Amino acid sequence: HLKPTEIQRFQRTSRQSAVVVVHTVDKMVASMWRISGAVNRAFGRAGYPLLLSLRRGQASVSYAQSLLGAPETRLTTLSNGLRIASEETNQATCTVGLWIGCGSRYESEKNNGAGFFLEHMAFKGTKKHPQSALEKAVESMGAHLSAYTSREHTAYYMKTLAKDLPKAVELLAEVVQSSSLSEADIEQQRNVVLRELEEVQGSLQDVCLDLLHATAFQGTPLGHSVLGPSANARTLTRNDLVEYISSHYKAPRMVLATAGGVNHDELVALAKQHFSGISFEYEGDAVPVLSPCRFTGSEIRMRDDALPLAHIAIAVEGAGAANPDIVPLMVANSIIGSYDITFGGGKHLSSRLARLAAELNLCHSFQAFHSSYNDTGLLGIYFVTDKHKIEDMMHWAQNAWMNLCTTVTESDVARAKNALKASLVGQLNGTTPVCDDIGRHILNYGRRIPLAEWDARIEGVTPRIVRDVCSKYIYDKCPAVSAVGPIEQLPDYNRMRSAMYWLRF
Amino acid sequence: MMSLPARLGALSPYLQACGPLKALLPRAVNTEVLMKPAVCGHFGARLAHTDIKIPDFSDYRRIEVLDAEKSSQESSNARRTFSYLVTGSTAVVGVYAAKTVVTQFVSSMSASADVLALSKIEIKLSDIPEGKNMTFKWRGKPLFVRHRTEKEIAAEQNVDLSELRDPQHDRDRVTNPTWVIVIGVCTHLGCVPIANAGEYGGYYCPCHGSHYDASGRIRKGPAPLNLEVPYYEFPDEDTVIVG
Repeated sequence: HLKPTEIQRFQRTSRQSAVVVVHTVDKMVASMWRISGAVNRAFGRAGYPLLLSLRRGQASVSYAQSLLGAPETRLTTLSNGLRIASEETNQATCTVGLWIGCGSRYESEKNNGAGFFLEHMAFKGTKKHPQSALEKAVESMGAHLSAYTSREHTAYYMKTLAKDLPKAVELLAEVVQSSSLSEADIEQQRNVVLRELEEVQGSLQDVCLDLLHATAFQGTPLGHSVLGPSANARTLTRNDLVEYISSHYKAPRMVLATAGGVNHDELVALAKQHFSGISFEYEGDAVPVLSPCRFTGSEIRMRDDALPLAHIAIAVEGAGAANPDIVPLMVANSIIGSYDITFGGGKHLSSRLARLAAELNLCHSFQAFHSSYNDTGLLGIYFVTDKHKIEDMMHWAQNAWMNLCTTVTESDVARAKNALKASLVGQLNGTTPVCDDIGRHILNYGRRIPLAEWDARIEGVTPRIVRDVCSKYIYDKCPAVSAVGPIEQLPDYNRMRSAMYWLRF
Repeated sequence: MMSLPARLGALSPYLQACGPLKALLPRAVNTEVLMKPAVCGHFGARLAHTDIKIPDFSDYRRIEVLDAEKSSQESSNARRTFSYLVTGSTAVVGVYAAKTVVTQFVSSMSASADVLALSKIEIKLSDIPEGKNMTFKWRGKPLFVRHRTEKEIAAEQNVDLSELRDPQHDRDRVTNPTWVIVIGVCTHLGCVPIANAGEYGGYYCPCHGSHYDASGRIRKGPAPLNLEVPYYEFPDEDTVIVG
């Protein structure tokens, strides 16, 4: 245990005096302090400054504190149904944005791509601020204005100084409610959208995963890509965009989320001022209800032997966002993990599949993923590999799945839980990720799930639970497979289907 | 399942044929306008991945998964069980059929019907009067069928086994005591004994003087063993099938 003289030195030189990491690292810290103390004293006598500060065993904030110390996310609902959520931290900057519960899943075959097109049109000027005025307003604040569209969510957000919050909220309100959508801009943006479609063909990861959704959810709206087909990009009219806005940009489906140095009450007042006008009624009372989307075990092969590497994704139907099974599934994905050929761990990597990939040169990269939507999801593995290694990589990837369903061990799960907790905490490193987290959580769950709750849920996962949940979703199920590139070696679908179970008993 | 050759640009070398043709036309014609739409058509365009339309496979779907707005998870167990049952029973039936075909081919190499016919003999017992012995040719050897009288049966059953060279009780040599069926080959050196001859009321082999009794057992003479009793059965009162 620490001697009194060493404790004094500890408290004098540590930057945050409130923290003394006593429980697990004290012995190590104590020995390090004795060594560093001795060395420092030696150097001090020789006239050298305190060079060797061996304080690496000491964290600035302990994990337990980071969980409980996070400020509460406050949630208010306006009379028209708009929800306002904010997490206040003492920072000079903030991210404020509108998260809307609409995306390509709400589009039909005819207007698939409208949301994406609208995202392009969003910053082309509003009724009060034509494009140059809008740009000037944003630039003069030194703010960043961005947007993204996904299958179930659309977001418009701004990263700015906390003191510029009123102006930011005003601009966002205008962008969402009174975008000018001029015909000239629409025509100009058509080419931009088509160029972007062309460019995305070069990003084979996006192509592969889009095709995976297209085949897995064939015949359903979840199969639509966010970008939409090129024909729609050429033919969408202003009317289509206006209709899209009027059917989906409704207050109950919107969340005004903020993170950073923002006061919740101030935000609510601003929201009342700018967002009260958003309607909550639908034309003809036709409230769009999300119907379930059928998953089809199937495959799509886009063979092109001129490409250097094959991009392949295999997935089974996963759990919806609000399903309690997502926690064991996240742990399961953590067990498989991810890998890139540039990883230095080699045969000492913790994930078994990664070790095999490194030793047998199976792939250039792989990652286990779980995309969850409202009521369904895709749980899968995506990998990029050389054309001669496809069969082996697919075999070992499915083998990893089978191990999850049958032989996952206590140490696997313990390691995965730690990695998952670390990544959840580590991802919230800034006002923008936090704001995004808030927006998506309110849309998916109706509340922000705090880190402490994630931690508790993750802690409750045992190997038996991982095995049971994985068996429920993976074992002997028909997968959806999508492959792009030189994929001659990809096994026949029946063989991949047979690898989804083991001949046990 | 869908396969798609993605790079239609691969076809472009074949379209270079547009070029040489130009020279064949008379100079006065404006070739620019002619060539492009006629031959090169759509091949210059490249598909975006979002333009790929997954075909509608409804014609091949099972009823439970026809509705795109219904989750396929609920019916997945039932569908899978059905598939496995069909596969399993087909496998069982297939294995049985294979086994049948193989045994049929393999057993075709065994003895044919005419050969098998020769191996058995069916004898009508009412043709043989009491006390008489009839000889039949069976598997190339003489077969003795003897209809014994009550006196003979009693005598043979009362014989003391210690007297016999090859001790066997009469009941161990016959199924029905009325009928004695033995192979008529002397166990000494293979001659055919004469029926109703010899000192023991049975058979006498003239070659070297072996005497057999009414049960076919050796009593006197050089033969070491009793006459061989073949396998026979009585399908009914009047017939015996030997072999």
